[in-house]
Amino acid sequence: MIRLDEVCKSFGENDVLRSLNLNAKNGEMLVLLGPSGCGKTTTLSIIAGLEKEDRGDIYVDGARINNVPPEKRDIGFVFQNYALFPHLSVFENVRFGLKARGIDNKNRVKEALETVGLDGFDNMNPMKLSGGEQQRVALARAIVTDPRCILMDEPLSSLDAIARERLRYEMKRLQKEIGVTSIYVTHDQVEAMILGDRVAVLNKGTVEEVGIPEKIFYKPESEFVARFVGMKNIFDGKVVSLDRDEGVMGVSTENFDLTAVFMPLGEGDRVKACIRPEEIILMKSNQGTSARNLISGKIINIFPNGHLMRVLVDVHGDEMSVDVTRLAVHNLELKSGDDVHLTFKACSVHVIL
Amino acid sequence: MVGYGLCEKRLNSIYPCSSFHILLSLIAGIFFGFIVSVIACLLTATSFTEFIDVIRSPEIFSSIILSLETSFVVVLLALFFGVPSAYFLATRRFRGSSILDTLIDLPIVSPPLVCGLAILIAFGGQGIFRHFEVLFTIKGIIIAQLFVASPFLIRSARTAFESINPDTIKAARTLGASEFYTFRKISLPLARNGIISGVVMTWARALGEFGATAMVAGCIPYRTETMTIGIYMHAMSGDLGASVALSLLLMFSAFTTLIVFKYFGRYNDPSG
Repeated sequence: MIRLDEVCKSFGENDVLRSLNLNAKNGEMLVLLGPSGCGKTTTLSIIAGLEKEDRGDIYVDGARINNVPPEKRDIGFVFQNYALFPHLSVFENVRFGLKARGIDNKNRVKEALETVGLDGFDNMNPMKLSGGEQQRVALARAIVTDPRCILMDEPLSSLDAIARERLRYEMKRLQKEIGVTSIYVTHDQVEAMILGDRVAVLNKGTVEEVGIPEKIFYKPESEFVARFVGMKNIFDGKVVSLDRDEGVMGVSTENFDLTAVFMPLGEGDRVKACIRPEEIILMKSNQGTSARNLISGKIINIFPNGHLMRVLVDVHGDEMSVDVTRLAVHNLELKSGDDVHLTFKACSVHVIL
Repeated sequence: MVGYGLCEKRLNSIYPCSSFHILLSLIAGIFFGFIVSVIACLLTATSFTEFIDVIRSPEIFSSIILSLETSFVVVLLALFFGVPSAYFLATRRFRGSSILDTLIDLPIVSPPLVCGLAILIAFGGQGIFRHFEVLFTIKGIIIAQLFVASPFLIRSARTAFESINPDTIKAARTLGASEFYTFRKISLPLARNGIISGVVMTWARALGEFGATAMVAGCIPYRTETMTIGIYMHAMSGDLGASVALSLLLMFSAFTTLIVFKYFGRYNDPSG
């Protein structure tokens, strides 16, 4: 278990960590997610002993390790740029950690290389390998000493899309197989969603929110997290009606009314209503819907958004982003200026206090 | 930079006859011609038999041995003090580190005569090191050469240490390696080529050192007469044959140095 208690760190004038609290449970993969400059990498460096915290405490398995040098912490680290030893073969790279500890067990090196799927690469020059293979070597090197936990600093972000996707699932499998407590830093939401047992969203040096991925991505508690995980449609509003029997409540924003799932709130309470762009259905004409929410609007713009198309719709003076497939844009002959109807379920309206 | 150069090269092979191209070739030709003819003059100033005779004369032979001995000791001392100093400068940031940095480069830039004078004063009758009694001895030669030549090693080794990816060092530490173990197993091997080029440069500089050596050790035949001092003394006394023979030897060693230096300089980065 890793615990950070009120950790502060600044570089000159720049406060990178402000009383950061964090807790990684035994055997779990905790993902640190956040925009660049939010202190993710600094957090890892401090846990590994590669940076010195200004204030606060770091505990591993209950023992305070603030003053333990990195080589005595027994914490594996996987770097974004792999950081392999260019003058050593693949085998010797993996063997390094054992040798440094005075252990010379070639079988453990072999096992580690097999675990990451690199048997037969022993004598190769690591610099001649592909990015994905290099990162596998780095993984093998980190796990061979059987560390108490492993820290990974954007390990997949230098890889091409295909290698990244393949290694992503493999890392998840590997981590579960070894069962080692891991902290994984990324700014990639998909990665966080797939890899994390829990996700901690960092913002300006503190933890905004921690929770299981479903919670973070679909039911975030703060506006910052909601925006960061891609909830494009966030509207200020207030509760106008509560219907416990139907299990719904009415939320009125400045320009339109919404129906959301019932929450134990009072009428007049100020809230924020969030709707994910992919949970809205867009129709050319009002074909009737079982969903609780139906709003009319006019298309402002359509542009590509990954493999989907994002449609920007003016709804009574507010903007709403809707994700539709390319095929839908084509079939419905959507274009700017078209009048459309948007519909979504009450449970798609996520309410933040 | 390299990419740009290659592009220029390719363009030039397509359009070889611009007037600028002709102007460039002309200026470069004059300059290279000048250098080559001066070197050729030295080469043709002696015959092979004369060369061998001169080198076998006891005084010249002893000066060659003395130069080789002192420069060898200088390289060893420079390695012993220079590599740790370089590592220190490359890995530590402290108040005044940039001043120290400049200070170490000073002997490279300042005239050797000035360095020699400084050593003369420091080790002379009133100097703080007067009890060492090194003036006009072989120890004096070694100190003068070390003073002037070791900055080349420090500079080269330091650049090599600095060019190591810091994450590699961090990775070694998280894998359980102490700072010393990391230095031995990671930093030193990775800086190897930089250190080798530094050694070669230091050796060449020590071998060719004249001004500081002459100031500190004087010009005593058989005792403190190094090759460069021999060249000067014999040229001044009209014995050009001895000077030419020694010069040719130095020229040859300089040439070898450059080849070695270029080889290790180019392959400084073991990652390719």
